[in-house]
Amino acid sequence: MIEVEVRDVAKTYNPGLFKKNVRAVNGLSFKVNGGEVFGLIGPNGAGKSTTIRMVMGLVRPDVGRILFRGKELSGTSFRREIGYLPENPYLYDHLTLEELLFFAGRTSGMEKKEIRLRAEELVERLCLTDVHARPLRTFSKGMLQRAGICFALLHDPSTLILDEPMSGLDPVGRKMVFDLVMELKRQGKTIFFCSHILNDVERLCDRIGLLNKGCLVREFSRNELLQINDGLLFLETRILELVEIEQIEQLGGRVREFEGGHLVAIPTEEYFSLNRYFEQSGIPVKGGRSEWLSLEDLFVEIVQEQAR
Amino acid sequence: MKTIYALAVITFKEGIRNRALFGVAFLALFLFGLNITVAGFFMRDIGKVTVDMNLSAISFAGLLLVFFVGVNLMGKDIDRKTIQLVLSKPLSRGQYVWGKYLGILFFVSVSLLLLLAFSTSTVLLVKLLYANYFIGFSFWLFWVAGFFVLLKLWVLSAIMIFFSSLTSNSLLALIFTLSSYVVGVSIEEVVYYLQTELAGQERMISDSLVSFVHVVSYFLPNLAVFDFTVEAAHGLPLSLERLILSFGYGVVYAVILLLLASFVFTRREFN
Repeated sequence: MIEVEVRDVAKTYNPGLFKKNVRAVNGLSFKVNGGEVFGLIGPNGAGKSTTIRMVMGLVRPDVGRILFRGKELSGTSFRREIGYLPENPYLYDHLTLEELLFFAGRTSGMEKKEIRLRAEELVERLCLTDVHARPLRTFSKGMLQRAGICFALLHDPSTLILDEPMSGLDPVGRKMVFDLVMELKRQGKTIFFCSHILNDVERLCDRIGLLNKGCLVREFSRNELLQINDGLLFLETRILELVEIEQIEQLGGRVREFEGGHLVAIPTEEYFSLNRYFEQSGIPVKGGRSEWLSLEDLFVEIVQEQAR
Repeated sequence: MKTIYALAVITFKEGIRNRALFGVAFLALFLFGLNITVAGFFMRDIGKVTVDMNLSAISFAGLLLVFFVGVNLMGKDIDRKTIQLVLSKPLSRGQYVWGKYLGILFFVSVSLLLLLAFSTSTVLLVKLLYANYFIGFSFWLFWVAGFFVLLKLWVLSAIMIFFSSLTSNSLLALIFTLSSYVVGVSIEEVVYYLQTELAGQERMISDSLVSFVHVVSYFLPNLAVFDFTVEAAHGLPLSLERLILSFGYGVVYAVILLLLASFVFTRREFN
């Protein structure tokens, strides 16, 4: 079942008098299936947050449609099924986390006892037990981010929409949130998020969409990303001559430029013949690598290609 | 209703814990204290001056509460994008507007009732000290005048909510609300002045300007109708008709503004 569907959506902002309109999103279409983790990545200003806000109904698209479970976004009932974390959430300074979560529960139609139990569970899970009765203005950035996650998860939504969930978190906090998202994924929740931390996106997502200048330039599954590296060994070498590259390719290898040298991808069955060629030609192997193209490499490559 | 109430409660708590509240409370207490100290200088007018000063202090403190705390209770939500988090819950924008208003209403009412309690003690103390100069004074009149100060603040809060729904900048909302207050307390006098023959004798005023002010006066809040200070200070009788009309005017004006604010808010985008 398709949980979220974005169809040919465009959004232009008017930044003010005498300023040119900014096209934030341009003809964007994608689907998020039930139970999958879909990550939206892209450079700053690519339109990720605007897309998320449109899905949440905070911003209206100029054209196109946004559907939640096949229905147009209308009314407020669809939000009962969604947990949302905005980018850098600003919470009420003088409230305590306990009070904020109580508010989240009441507005989601939960009973007092249910709210208390769920809040205790989440606060403990995100290591906020010691501070849950403290005013939110005394929280650090990472604590506020975790408090925002508690707010989003309190009513146990089936779909989660997270805008930069790892932003402002220290390594321990990141691991905590990462594990939580993995657990939610195992529970079959649908998770749609955008992030700059590509390592997390790569590990968490079933599918990834790359957004640039408001357009979805590439969409690929985790398996596709893994297949790029499947059954290959990767060796870092010095800068190779053209003749050497041709010879390696004839022997079944692939070559690409990599950090001031070259990276050679060798099919495991061709390892001995290529290794022999390296020995004969005196090509030193500087090191090994676990992947041909990381998500970061792919991201940079595509964005640079678009810029040209 | 549960949703509106939940939002009203957190708005109230956010307001009542604001440190600016202490400043306003101290200022009000200072004015009450000043009243006790200087009351003796006014001879026969002690009663009138005491009531006048107390009601003015309550009104001034209430205005500070609305302008400096109340404006932020909604403006900050939009400024700092907290509203994105709040509206991610099953809460309509109309419910948001009403919830915020109710919260501000609780906050202003509780604060003003406390001030009124202090003020009553001040008046009582001065009355005990100078009992002969309080002829015609009635606590009932004093409290009615205090209640209408509160009603004025309710209307002003609705004006502030209306402007906050139009702009994303809390400073702009503050400026618009402040301007509305200044116009609101003086519009009745301006209209009255233009209607008298004196206006024509003193200065040439075009008919179109007179018509414009006349039309505009129906839209602008007439805050002078909530002023019962003179009646309370002089112990003048109050007609029930005027009380009902003033109360009705305030409630209807606030409700219309909130409906307009809900309408505008439903069409807004939160980037």
